Amino acid sequence: MDIGILVAGILTLAVFSFLYKDNPVYKAAESWLIGLSVGYALVIFWQTTIIDLLLVPLFSEGRLILIIPFLLGLMMFSRFSKKTSWLSRIPIALMIGAGAGVAIPAMLYARTLKQMSASVMPIIENGSLNIEAPVVALGVISTLAYFYFSREHKGVMGSTARLGTYFLMIFFGATFGYTVMSRMSTFIGRVDFLLTDFLHLIK
Amino acid sequence: MDRLRTRWIIFSGLAIVVIVSYLITIKFKTAPSPATLKAYKYLDTLPEKSVVIFSFDHEASSLPEIQPIALAMLRHAFKNDLKIVGLSLFAEGTAIGYDLLSKTAREYDRQYGSDYIFLGFKPQYISAILGMGESIKRVFPEDYLGNMTDTMPIMLGIDSYDNIEMVVSIADGDRTVQWVEYAGARYNQKVMAGLTAAMITSYDPYLSSEQLYAVVGGLRGAAEYENLLDKRGGGSRGMLAQSAAHLYILALVIVGNIIYFRNRRRGGGG
Repeated sequence: MDIGILVAGILTLAVFSFLYKDNPVYKAAESWLIGLSVGYALVIFWQTTIIDLLLVPLFSEGRLILIIPFLLGLMMFSRFSKKTSWLSRIPIALMIGAGAGVAIPAMLYARTLKQMSASVMPIIENGSLNIEAPVVALGVISTLAYFYFSREHKGVMGSTARLGTYFLMIFFGATFGYTVMSRMSTFIGRVDFLLTDFLHLIK
Repeated sequence: MDRLRTRWIIFSGLAIVVIVSYLITIKFKTAPSPATLKAYKYLDTLPEKSVVIFSFDHEASSLPEIQPIALAMLRHAFKNDLKIVGLSLFAEGTAIGYDLLSKTAREYDRQYGSDYIFLGFKPQYISAILGMGESIKRVFPEDYLGNMTDTMPIMLGIDSYDNIEMVVSIADGDRTVQWVEYAGARYNQKVMAGLTAAMITSYDPYLSSEQLYAVVGGLRGAAEYENLLDKRGGGSRGMLAQSAAHLYILALVIVGNIIYFRNRRRGGGG
């Protein structure tokens, strides 16, 4: 048997042992998973960011402009000392400024404007009633009413907000159902691995 | 001790239900959902040699659910002789993406460098997605194996999203949203997704506003895609087990409620 499959099979069973109760075998598998994930990500980031984007272009190709981001990166470490911590505000300010500049227009378009236009639908479509249109309109208005806190939730406002909670509950229910399905799929995937690759019980 | 025993019984029951239904080899036909059908039809009608990006934007922990989706869509793409550019915007998805791509390419005898390429991982996903709109070769000067991308035959006619028909983001989180927001909104790039089931409701607004072209969601989505492709895989194999597990959970919910209401009537609280 392939050593990788053997190790993966044993570690899968070690993780499943937690379902009985917490135990040292499970703890060892958990620590391995976290250690390997962090180690793998660290190596990938070191290679693709520090080596590929900074050290090689700066020192091998002589792109001196990269001294600026290099110094800005070093300034982040100034937070370790109280005397110099103010220096870290410069790269943080740059990152937030640039990030917001790039993200705000894109998010405004995709998450607000496009969603608003998608919420407006014709009630009569091809000569027949489009039932989705009033339901979506009612759902959007009542859910927004629930999150509108500048006015007390009484009377019409209270009833609309209450209706909004039902729409929210439907969303949470659907999300919960899908999450259960997702976790079951993960479990089934591991059972598939154990029965086919590890134990060879099915082909 | 009672709580421990109850938990042990519940989990053992679930394990038995899943394993037994897994060993029963009944072919489970799943009617395709409109979103899966749309994804399938799009890839199916693309002309040969069209270029599709497969972005593996997921962690290793979601592999059991992600793998059947990715394999079904990759098999479809290779079967229809589409050119595939693989990459990852999530560090953990890098080696997995390369592995899945290479494994599927071998099944269809496709050659690395001319039929498919894996560009590897790029940090700062927003700048990577935006940069690819200007020049993919500038964002990825080297591929995953260290070859210069501008020397690879597959990359000769590919420079930006203008040469890409579709981006398929295989994701377990919100990385697909960034593809939609930056590649879709800014460069008008078509984006579809292969998602874990837990993420489906989060992406429904993007699907209904047509910012996301189509979604293949969860193990069920994988099974639907495999049925359309007429190639049995992990999704189809797991559908009977998943249905049985859902029935088991439903039964537990009903039994739990009966016990709760019975105890409440007796005045014992929950």
